Amino acid sequence: MSVVTEKTLLREWTGPLTEELVLQPRTFGLDRLPARLQPDATTTTVCGFCSTGCGLNVHLREGQAINLSANASYPVNLGMACPKGWEALTPLRASDRATTPLLRDAAGKLSPVDWDTAMQVFSLRFKAIQDKCGADAVAWLGTGQICTEELAFLGALGKFGMGMVHGDGNTRQCMATAVTAYKQSFGFDAPPYTYADFEQSDVIVLLGSNLCIAHPILWQRVLRNRNHPQIIVIDPRKTETAMAASQHLAIKPKSDLALLYGVAHLLISNGWVKSEYVAAHTSGFTEFQEFVRTFTLDAVSAQTGLTEGEIFHLAQAIHRGKAVSFWWTMGVNQGHEATRTAQAIINLALLTGNIGRPGTGANSVTGQCNAMGSRLFSNTSGLLGGRDFLKAEHRETVARILGIPANRIPTQNSFAYDQILQAIAEDRIKGLWIIATNTAHSWVNQASFRDLRRKLDFLVVQDMFHTTETAQMADLVLPAAGWGEKEGTFINSERRIGVTRKVARAPGAALSDFNIFKLAAHYWGCADLFAAWTSPEAVFQILKRLSVGQPCDFSGIRDYHHLDAAGGIQWPWPGGENMEADETIAPARERRLFADGKFFTADGKAKFIFESPRALPEPADEAYPFTLLTGRGTSAQWHTGTRTEKSDVLRKLRPAVIYAEINPSDARRLGITPDSNVSVSSRRGALVAQALITSTIQPGQVFIPMHYAQTNQLTLGSFDPYSRQPAYKACAVRLERVRRTRKVIDE
Amino acid sequence: MMPPTASNSEGRTLIDALLEEQRALTAVERFAQWHDTQPHTSSMHRALIPLSAPKAGEQYAFEVDLDRCSGCKSCVTACHALNGLDDHETWRSVGVLHGRSRNSFQQTITTACHHCVEPGCVDGCPVLAYDKDPLTGIVRHLDDQCIGCQYCIFMCPYEVPTYSAARGIVRKCDLCHQRLAHGEAPACVQACPSEAIRISVVNQETVRAEYRPSAPATVTATNSFLPNAPQPAITLPTTRYVSAKPLAVDLVAGDSHEARLQPAHTPLVWMLVLTQLGVGAFSLLPAAAPETQTKLSAVALVALLLGLTGSALHLGHPQKAWRAFLGLRRSWLSREIVVFSMAAPVAILTTLAVILDWPLGFARGLIWLNATLGLVGVLCSGMVYHVTKRECWRGEHSIGRFFGATALLGFAAAWGISSREGALAFAIGLALVTIIKQARELAFLRRCPDDADLDAELPTNILARSAFLMRFRVGVMVRTRLASGFLGGIALPLVSLLPISNHQLIAILGFSLCLVGEFIERALFFRAAVFPKMPGVST
Repeated sequence: MSVVTEKTLLREWTGPLTEELVLQPRTFGLDRLPARLQPDATTTTVCGFCSTGCGLNVHLREGQAINLSANASYPVNLGMACPKGWEALTPLRASDRATTPLLRDAAGKLSPVDWDTAMQVFSLRFKAIQDKCGADAVAWLGTGQICTEELAFLGALGKFGMGMVHGDGNTRQCMATAVTAYKQSFGFDAPPYTYADFEQSDVIVLLGSNLCIAHPILWQRVLRNRNHPQIIVIDPRKTETAMAASQHLAIKPKSDLALLYGVAHLLISNGWVKSEYVAAHTSGFTEFQEFVRTFTLDAVSAQTGLTEGEIFHLAQAIHRGKAVSFWWTMGVNQGHEATRTAQAIINLALLTGNIGRPGTGANSVTGQCNAMGSRLFSNTSGLLGGRDFLKAEHRETVARILGIPANRIPTQNSFAYDQILQAIAEDRIKGLWIIATNTAHSWVNQASFRDLRRKLDFLVVQDMFHTTETAQMADLVLPAAGWGEKEGTFINSERRIGVTRKVARAPGAALSDFNIFKLAAHYWGCADLFAAWTSPEAVFQILKRLSVGQPCDFSGIRDYHHLDAAGGIQWPWPGGENMEADETIAPARERRLFADGKFFTADGKAKFIFESPRALPEPADEAYPFTLLTGRGTSAQWHTGTRTEKSDVLRKLRPAVIYAEINPSDARRLGITPDSNVSVSSRRGALVAQALITSTIQPGQVFIPMHYAQTNQLTLGSFDPYSRQPAYKACAVRLERVRRTRKVIDE
Repeated sequence: MMPPTASNSEGRTLIDALLEEQRALTAVERFAQWHDTQPHTSSMHRALIPLSAPKAGEQYAFEVDLDRCSGCKSCVTACHALNGLDDHETWRSVGVLHGRSRNSFQQTITTACHHCVEPGCVDGCPVLAYDKDPLTGIVRHLDDQCIGCQYCIFMCPYEVPTYSAARGIVRKCDLCHQRLAHGEAPACVQACPSEAIRISVVNQETVRAEYRPSAPATVTATNSFLPNAPQPAITLPTTRYVSAKPLAVDLVAGDSHEARLQPAHTPLVWMLVLTQLGVGAFSLLPAAAPETQTKLSAVALVALLLGLTGSALHLGHPQKAWRAFLGLRRSWLSREIVVFSMAAPVAILTTLAVILDWPLGFARGLIWLNATLGLVGVLCSGMVYHVTKRECWRGEHSIGRFFGATALLGFAAAWGISSREGALAFAIGLALVTIIKQARELAFLRRCPDDADLDAELPTNILARSAFLMRFRVGVMVRTRLASGFLGGIALPLVSLLPISNHQLIAILGFSLCLVGEFIERALFFRAAVFPKMPGVST
């Protein structure tokens, strides 16, 4: 193909405008790029949005990131990225970045102050609250969005340095259920799989997961499966993933627990159980067998709205599959009986021996980029390294490794997110420090949090942006550097530890969360406890020591360079006696757990855990006849949109106005026309959304994406009793057509 | 309890140290070296591009496997990042088709330039800033040749070229021809996690035969290119949307219920109305009384020149517009520009001839030549819109409308300038033309039912939907237009015939109202234009 490049008087084939798009020869193994974007060096990093944990090539010029592309050699994403990843650098340049600490002044306005003032006030006000109301009257709400080293610093500083007892994170909103389910069933929070399992199954069961939209790069792995797998999607909505599946079970909202018990009953009653496996590696089967007896096909069919044939087919597919993998996401985790539902999935994998082999597993697909880091090291619900605050030997081990007095470590468990808020309501917590999360947008029954703000004596919000709904409520805003402006590690869904790098300068006086914690320790007067916590990489070495002997032992990783060269390393990767990294043995690129059938429980067996399903806390009724479902809208949106809304391109890829998906028959009945305004109200609040009339939602249900600020005005503050995770997935609402009629013009 | 003073100064030192550390960028020294030695990855995606170049009669084309497209939109962002587009600029988009029937259904659709066999952009461009490569069939835009007239945006049924005000040009997808030339896949192809997009070679005659079958009986209601897409017969798009499962029949695009107003294109409104006033007034010169001719030709000339100047404001690069003759063979815009460029000097001469009382025969010849050129110019203006094949702009709605305005404004000007005695015929002519023109416009508005309101479902018919937009989105404009047209074109001309009135004042007022009315009419012509588009998503 010839590219004509002559410039004639009549036709300008070249020139400055054409030049802008002329692609230069390839460098650094990257694609061709225009001269303006030609890098002088590259580095790799791990994406800071979701838990897929994609590797990105950052294109640098004079040390600064100018562009990025997907990393083809990283084992997770194999050269692909979703829109958020491609646009990851754009939010860093947003005009509403927090660039200086802001303190609410006498007039009630947030005004700039210097770091010295900010940190003196921080320490003064929190100490005053603790002096008056007790050390546990100050708490924090953290995140799954910052580096593991930072999460550990926050957790250690909060509890061991500042004397707090209660701290939790937004991971409570996404992963707490999986954590609890795994801990109880396997003895440790241990997602057993590796992404290659997507490629090696012959039956893939997706529950409450719109993988195509929420984790597009994992869907890529499904499509790379050469076994022509049967893909079964269990979801009330005909999602993009359901469309792509071989079978879609459009289940009634939150009837999944009954379905899973029904399938277990079918497997058992048809003799489709891997008895040798169950006998050797599990406990509680006899009781479970007895328990599921009542979940007969007709009863389950009535409860789930599925036909008996559909349910039987599911059981049969699981039985016939040679390698069956089960994958779940928020559709399961955010339910009122979520932990038992997750465990019901685990039970199916155990019954059929679908665990520990390629292409199998009961696999929770995580949400945030570092939810897994938070699970191990945030020092909130568990003590550092997946330990237990209630166990003296665990406290002593941690104290010894950190070189701190054991009595600095709380001997009680932390409140969960909802309990912290409850304690604020009851005036037991008066000071709150929120880090990298947007509670005022994302928490269930939003109005309740807004009321609580008034009860707090002092609210500190640490964030990249001073414009988040939560930062706007703060007494003190601490400006944080974002992903890309600091260094550290993330742990992804498949337990892979990857390095994220500093490739851009934080604006103004914004500091990395790590450095803010360092400052906080200094001003609090407890810096001596953290003398060894000099840099993220120094803390990584501390975390390695904390992991020794635990199921998550990764002491065999030398340092960040080792992680980089290996393309990330999955835990466990234990070192030798003296924690030496033996780099002559390279970890396999994809590793899964439980190949030996040994679990982390005391008896080494996985447990069948089960409980009778309970009714929805707020079923649809006469006054509120619709069930509201919430979830991910598009792959271009992330959570409360504080970052994704800052990219012009990502904004083009999502509907700007909040919308509600409504079935055509409901719309017809209520006189709701496409794109007209519809009022959606629950017992807690009301919003107006644009009607999206589509057959992908079933009659009697409404779906509203979670990214819009109004959505959580409707949701219900109900929680799974074991994981304390909010049940975002179902509450009762009413729909009404909103008239905005103007009469026709007079002609 | 304040921290001790010593701690404060230490605190300050620590803050300084941390701020300094924050500013230091270390990734290059610490990590870049190792990555610089990474091998190239150009061999990936080879399976997604053709092994050999197109033969004669063939060309490259996108092929989208709908069964694999799941709406992740990575293609949009990768194209954006790897081609170095502006912050808000995208060359690809992803829409959705929803099922409305009982069987739940949705299908996401990725779309970019279709590198058509008969590209509307190529045919419309007045300066040959588009090139359909004879070897590859790729439709390239020559950015430095572009004058920023944006006519290609009207000519493309797929909203492909997008205008950048900062650059003053449009840009569009070039099928990554620079990558393909090196055996590498386009950015969107590389970046699709589902491998839903590939480059294939298609036979141009096959595309033509499929979308323009010789036997009309085989034309069916379904769009074999893609349901809910613009009719492929217009430009013969080469993208193939393939699926193993048939698409449901009752599909609705994600954005099909949006009633979206289009840009007003003020310079074009200005240009069209004023040139039509000029041409109309010049055309009535032979009918005007000798004492009126001077004033009428002066008004006509001023209007024509203002209109033509105004059109230059529409261009991103007016200094390059001299090349507009290049497209004469294909582009009606080129013809319009050339004809009016000839008309302008003739109009100046004509005006001079009238004012300076040049010999009668010579002046008359100029007057007729001038009127003819002007009317051909108006015809070209009409054809510019007619050939876009947008229903709102076809035939009566463009050519008819423009000649109507020419006559109406011509009569209005002649009436406004003439003395009471000479004005009678012009006043009657004006009233008649206005009645016909307004009646047609009212008939257009009636395409949208009277009882429609903002909550009603939008009409599916294109013209009815345009009428809906006019009545319910820009109703004030429509009412003002109708009122000023009625007053200036019907009421005042009749009043002016009464002996009691101040003829001159009324006539000038009437002419002004007519002019205002036509300006608004033309703004509505652009604002309320509705046309088929590729399925999008609700915004």
